[in-house]
Amino acid sequence: MQIKQEDKSGILVCYMTGEIDINTAPEVKKTFDKIVGAKKDKIVLNFKGVSYVDSSGLATLVEVLKGLRSYGGKLKLTNLSTKVKNLFEITKLEKLFDITSEEEEAIKAFS
Amino acid sequence: MKIPSDIKYIRKVSTEIENFLKSKNVDKSEIFDIRLCVEEAVKNAIIHGNKNKKDLPVFISYSLEDGRFAIEIEDKGKGFDPGKVPDPTKEENLLTEGGRGVFIIRKMMDKVRYDNSSRGNKVFMVKFIGDKKGRH
Repeated sequence: MQIKQEDKSGILVCYMTGEIDINTAPEVKKTFDKIVGAKKDKIVLNFKGVSYVDSSGLATLVEVLKGLRSYGGKLKLTNLSTKVKNLFEITKLEKLFDITSEEEEAIKAFS
Repeated sequence: MKIPSDIKYIRKVSTEIENFLKSKNVDKSEIFDIRLCVEEAVKNAIIHGNKNKKDLPVFISYSLEDGRFAIEIEDKGKGFDPGKVPDPTKEENLLTEGGRGVFIIRKMMDKVRYDNSSRGNKVFMVKFIGDKKGRH
Protein backbone atom coordinates (compact mmCIF):
# COMPACT_ATOMS: atom_id res chain seq x y z
CA MET A 1 0.00 0.00 0.00
CA GLN A 2 1.38 3.37 -1.01
CA ILE A 3 0.01 6.75 -0.03
CA LYS A 4 1.43 9.72 -1.88
CA GLN A 5 0.49 13.06 -0.37
CA GLU A 6 0.25 16.28 -2.34
CA ASP A 7 -0.81 19.69 -1.14
CA LYS A 8 -3.08 21.43 -3.63
CA SER A 9 -3.75 24.97 -2.38
CA GLY A 10 -4.40 23.92 1.20
CA ILE A 11 -6.19 20.72 0.27
CA LEU A 12 -4.30 17.54 1.07
CA VAL A 13 -4.76 15.04 -1.75
CA CYS A 14 -3.72 11.48 -0.90
CA TYR A 15 -3.12 9.14 -3.81
CA MET A 16 -3.75 5.63 -2.54
CA THR A 17 -2.23 2.71 -4.42
CA GLY A 18 -2.74 -0.96 -3.60
CA GLU A 19 -5.19 -2.84 -1.43
CA ILE A 20 -6.71 -1.70 1.86
CA ASP A 21 -7.25 -4.88 3.83
CA ILE A 22 -6.48 -6.44 7.19
CA ASN A 23 -2.76 -6.58 6.34
CA THR A 24 -2.36 -3.01 5.12
CA ALA A 25 -4.99 -1.29 7.31
CA PRO A 26 -2.55 -0.68 10.24
CA GLU A 27 -0.14 1.08 7.86
CA VAL A 28 -2.98 3.20 6.44
CA LYS A 29 -4.12 4.07 9.95
CA LYS A 30 -0.59 5.11 10.94
CA THR A 31 -0.36 7.50 7.98
CA PHE A 32 -3.72 9.06 8.73
CA ASP A 33 -3.04 9.30 12.46
CA LYS A 34 -0.23 11.69 11.50
CA ILE A 35 -2.53 13.66 9.20
CA VAL A 36 -5.21 13.85 11.91
CA GLY A 37 -2.50 14.74 14.45
CA ALA A 38 -1.45 17.65 12.22
CA LYS A 39 -5.14 18.69 12.11
CA LYS A 40 -5.31 18.81 8.33
CA ASP A 41 -8.87 19.83 7.64
CA LYS A 42 -9.45 19.34 3.92
CA ILE A 43 -8.54 15.88 2.71
CA VAL A 44 -9.20 14.18 -0.61
CA LEU A 45 -8.50 10.47 -0.90
CA ASN A 46 -7.95 9.52 -4.51
CA PHE A 47 -8.76 5.81 -4.86
CA LYS A 48 -7.71 5.50 -8.49
CA GLY A 49 -4.98 3.02 -7.57
CA VAL A 50 -7.03 1.05 -5.06
CA SER A 51 -8.10 -2.30 -6.44
CA TYR A 52 -9.49 -3.88 -3.28
CA VAL A 53 -10.93 -2.93 0.11
CA ASP A 54 -12.17 -5.33 2.80
CA SER A 55 -14.16 -4.75 6.01
CA SER A 56 -10.95 -3.94 7.93
CA GLY A 57 -10.14 -1.30 5.30
CA LEU A 58 -13.65 0.13 5.62
CA ALA A 59 -13.31 0.19 9.42
CA THR A 60 -10.01 2.08 9.12
CA LEU A 61 -11.59 4.66 6.81
CA VAL A 62 -14.44 5.11 9.31
CA GLU A 63 -11.81 5.68 12.04
CA VAL A 64 -10.06 8.27 9.86
CA LEU A 65 -13.36 10.04 9.25
CA LYS A 66 -14.16 10.09 12.97
CA GLY A 67 -10.70 11.47 13.73
CA LEU A 68 -11.11 14.27 11.19
CA ARG A 69 -14.63 15.09 12.35
CA SER A 70 -13.39 15.53 15.93
CA TYR A 71 -11.88 18.90 14.93
CA GLY A 72 -14.17 19.77 12.03
CA GLY A 73 -11.98 18.27 9.30
CA LYS A 74 -13.61 17.21 6.06
CA LEU A 75 -12.93 14.18 3.89
CA LYS A 76 -13.85 13.43 0.30
CA LEU A 77 -13.26 10.20 -1.62
CA THR A 78 -12.81 10.16 -5.38
CA ASN A 79 -12.09 7.84 -8.29
CA LEU A 80 -13.44 4.67 -6.69
CA SER A 81 -13.56 1.61 -8.92
CA THR A 82 -17.02 0.16 -9.59
CA LYS A 83 -16.36 -2.76 -7.24
CA VAL A 84 -15.05 -0.63 -4.38
CA LYS A 85 -17.89 1.87 -4.80
CA ASN A 86 -20.34 -1.03 -4.73
CA LEU A 87 -18.92 -2.02 -1.35
CA PHE A 88 -19.60 1.47 0.02
CA GLU A 89 -23.14 1.20 -1.35
CA ILE A 90 -23.83 -2.27 0.09
CA THR A 91 -22.60 -1.24 3.54
CA LYS A 92 -24.41 2.11 3.28
CA LEU A 93 -21.13 3.90 3.99
CA GLU A 94 -21.89 6.06 0.96
CA LYS A 95 -24.21 7.92 3.37
CA LEU A 96 -21.30 8.66 5.67
CA PHE A 97 -18.61 9.49 3.11
CA ASP A 98 -18.68 12.22 0.55
CA ILE A 99 -17.91 10.36 -2.69
CA THR A 100 -17.29 12.08 -6.02
CA SER A 101 -16.26 10.50 -9.27
CA GLU A 102 -13.40 12.88 -10.13
CA GLU A 103 -10.69 14.54 -8.03
CA GLU A 104 -11.31 17.97 -9.61
CA GLU A 105 -14.90 17.81 -8.46
CA ALA A 106 -13.83 17.15 -4.85
CA ILE A 107 -11.25 19.94 -4.91
CA LYS A 108 -13.76 22.35 -6.42
CA ALA A 109 -16.26 21.52 -3.68
CA PHE A 110 -13.63 22.45 -1.07
CA SER A 111 -12.69 25.75 -2.68
CA MET B 1 -6.47 -26.63 2.70
CA LYS B 2 -5.39 -26.19 6.30
CA ILE B 3 -3.85 -23.00 7.71
CA PRO B 4 -2.73 -21.90 11.16
CA SER B 5 -4.69 -19.14 12.87
CA ASP B 6 -2.52 -16.29 11.69
CA ILE B 7 -3.94 -13.44 9.62
CA LYS B 8 -0.95 -13.52 7.29
CA TYR B 9 -2.39 -16.76 5.82
CA ILE B 10 -5.66 -15.12 4.73
CA ARG B 11 -4.17 -13.90 1.46
CA LYS B 12 -2.63 -17.33 0.82
CA VAL B 13 -6.11 -18.89 0.93
CA SER B 14 -7.72 -16.25 -1.27
CA THR B 15 -4.86 -16.33 -3.79
CA GLU B 16 -5.24 -20.07 -4.22
CA ILE B 17 -8.99 -19.69 -4.74
CA GLU B 18 -8.53 -16.70 -7.08
CA ASN B 19 -6.11 -18.70 -9.21
CA PHE B 20 -8.49 -21.64 -9.26
CA LEU B 21 -11.39 -19.42 -10.38
CA LYS B 22 -9.23 -17.68 -13.00
CA SER B 23 -8.29 -21.08 -14.42
CA LYS B 24 -12.03 -21.78 -14.77
CA ASN B 25 -12.50 -18.46 -16.61
CA VAL B 26 -14.70 -16.96 -13.89
CA ASP B 27 -15.50 -13.30 -14.40
CA LYS B 28 -13.21 -10.76 -12.61
CA SER B 29 -16.13 -9.10 -10.83
CA GLU B 30 -17.32 -12.44 -9.42
CA ILE B 31 -13.77 -13.31 -8.34
CA PHE B 32 -13.62 -9.99 -6.46
CA ASP B 33 -16.84 -10.83 -4.56
CA ILE B 34 -15.74 -14.38 -3.77
CA ARG B 35 -12.27 -13.26 -2.68
CA LEU B 36 -13.81 -10.68 -0.36
CA CYS B 37 -16.25 -13.15 1.24
CA VAL B 38 -13.57 -15.84 1.59
CA GLU B 39 -11.18 -13.39 3.27
CA GLU B 40 -13.92 -12.11 5.60
CA ALA B 41 -14.92 -15.65 6.60
CA VAL B 42 -11.32 -16.84 7.10
CA LYS B 43 -10.57 -13.69 9.09
CA ASN B 44 -13.60 -14.39 11.34
CA ALA B 45 -12.47 -17.99 11.80
CA ILE B 46 -8.96 -16.90 12.82
CA ILE B 47 -9.86 -13.92 15.00
CA HIS B 48 -13.28 -14.74 16.48
CA GLY B 49 -13.32 -18.54 16.15
CA ASN B 50 -9.78 -19.56 17.06
CA LYS B 51 -8.98 -16.33 18.97
CA ASN B 52 -5.70 -15.91 17.02
CA LYS B 53 -4.24 -19.06 18.62
CA LYS B 54 -1.71 -20.00 15.96
CA ASP B 55 -1.70 -23.71 16.89
CA LEU B 56 -5.42 -24.01 16.13
CA PRO B 57 -6.12 -24.81 12.48
CA VAL B 58 -8.65 -23.42 10.04
CA PHE B 59 -9.84 -25.89 7.39
CA ILE B 60 -10.98 -24.70 3.99
CA SER B 61 -12.51 -26.80 1.22
CA TYR B 62 -14.12 -25.53 -1.96
CA SER B 63 -15.47 -26.60 -5.31
CA LEU B 64 -16.90 -25.21 -8.52
CA GLU B 65 -19.42 -27.32 -10.29
CA ASP B 66 -22.04 -26.38 -12.85
CA GLY B 67 -21.74 -22.66 -12.08
CA ARG B 68 -21.99 -23.24 -8.33
CA PHE B 69 -19.02 -22.19 -6.22
CA ALA B 70 -19.21 -23.72 -2.74
CA ILE B 71 -16.83 -23.23 0.16
CA GLU B 72 -16.70 -24.46 3.73
CA ILE B 73 -14.52 -22.84 6.38
CA GLU B 74 -14.12 -24.55 9.73
CA ASP B 75 -12.54 -23.34 12.93
CA LYS B 76 -12.26 -24.73 16.45
CA GLY B 77 -14.26 -21.99 18.10
CA LYS B 78 -17.61 -22.08 19.81
CA GLY B 79 -19.36 -20.36 16.95
CA PHE B 80 -21.73 -17.45 17.15
CA ASP B 81 -25.26 -16.44 16.38
CA PRO B 82 -25.13 -14.42 13.14
CA GLY B 83 -28.56 -13.05 14.03
CA LYS B 84 -27.00 -11.27 16.99
CA VAL B 85 -24.47 -9.34 14.93
CA PRO B 86 -25.81 -5.76 14.82
CA ASP B 87 -26.83 -4.52 11.37
CA PRO B 88 -23.91 -2.23 10.39
CA THR B 89 -26.07 -0.37 7.86
CA LYS B 90 -28.40 1.04 10.53
CA GLU B 91 -27.93 4.77 10.99
CA GLU B 92 -26.76 4.36 14.59
CA ASN B 93 -24.16 1.72 13.62
CA LEU B 94 -22.64 3.42 10.57
CA LEU B 95 -19.81 4.93 12.60
CA THR B 96 -18.91 1.67 14.34
CA GLU B 97 -15.77 -0.02 13.16
CA GLY B 98 -16.81 -3.68 13.27
CA GLY B 99 -19.59 -6.02 12.15
CA ARG B 100 -19.34 -5.46 8.40
CA GLY B 101 -17.67 -8.77 7.47
CA VAL B 102 -20.66 -10.99 8.28
CA PHE B 103 -22.99 -8.48 6.61
CA ILE B 104 -20.89 -8.34 3.40
CA ILE B 105 -20.87 -12.16 3.20
CA ARG B 106 -24.66 -12.27 3.58
CA LYS B 107 -25.10 -9.65 0.84
CA MET B 108 -22.63 -11.05 -1.68
CA MET B 109 -23.10 -14.79 -1.36
CA ASP B 110 -26.25 -16.59 -2.52
CA LYS B 111 -26.37 -19.05 0.38
CA VAL B 112 -24.73 -18.83 3.81
CA ARG B 113 -25.10 -21.33 6.62
CA TYR B 114 -23.41 -21.42 9.99
CA ASP B 115 -23.11 -24.72 11.87
CA ASN B 116 -21.92 -24.93 15.44
CA SER B 117 -21.04 -28.21 17.10
CA SER B 118 -18.89 -29.36 19.99
CA ARG B 119 -16.04 -29.90 17.49
CA GLY B 120 -16.09 -26.38 16.11
CA ASN B 121 -17.80 -23.84 13.97
CA LYS B 122 -18.40 -24.05 10.23
CA VAL B 123 -19.53 -21.54 7.68
CA PHE B 124 -20.79 -22.85 4.38
CA MET B 125 -21.21 -20.39 1.50
CA VAL B 126 -22.43 -20.74 -2.08
CA LYS B 127 -22.27 -18.33 -4.99
CA PHE B 128 -23.86 -19.02 -8.36
CA ILE B 129 -21.74 -17.65 -11.15
CA GLY B 130 -21.77 -17.10 -14.89
CA ASP B 131 -25.16 -17.91 -16.40
CA LYS B 132 -26.26 -19.49 -13.10
CA LYS B 133 -25.97 -16.06 -11.44
CA GLY B 134 -28.92 -14.95 -9.35
CA ARG B 135 -30.13 -18.50 -8.56
CA HIS B 136 -31.03 -19.04 -4.94
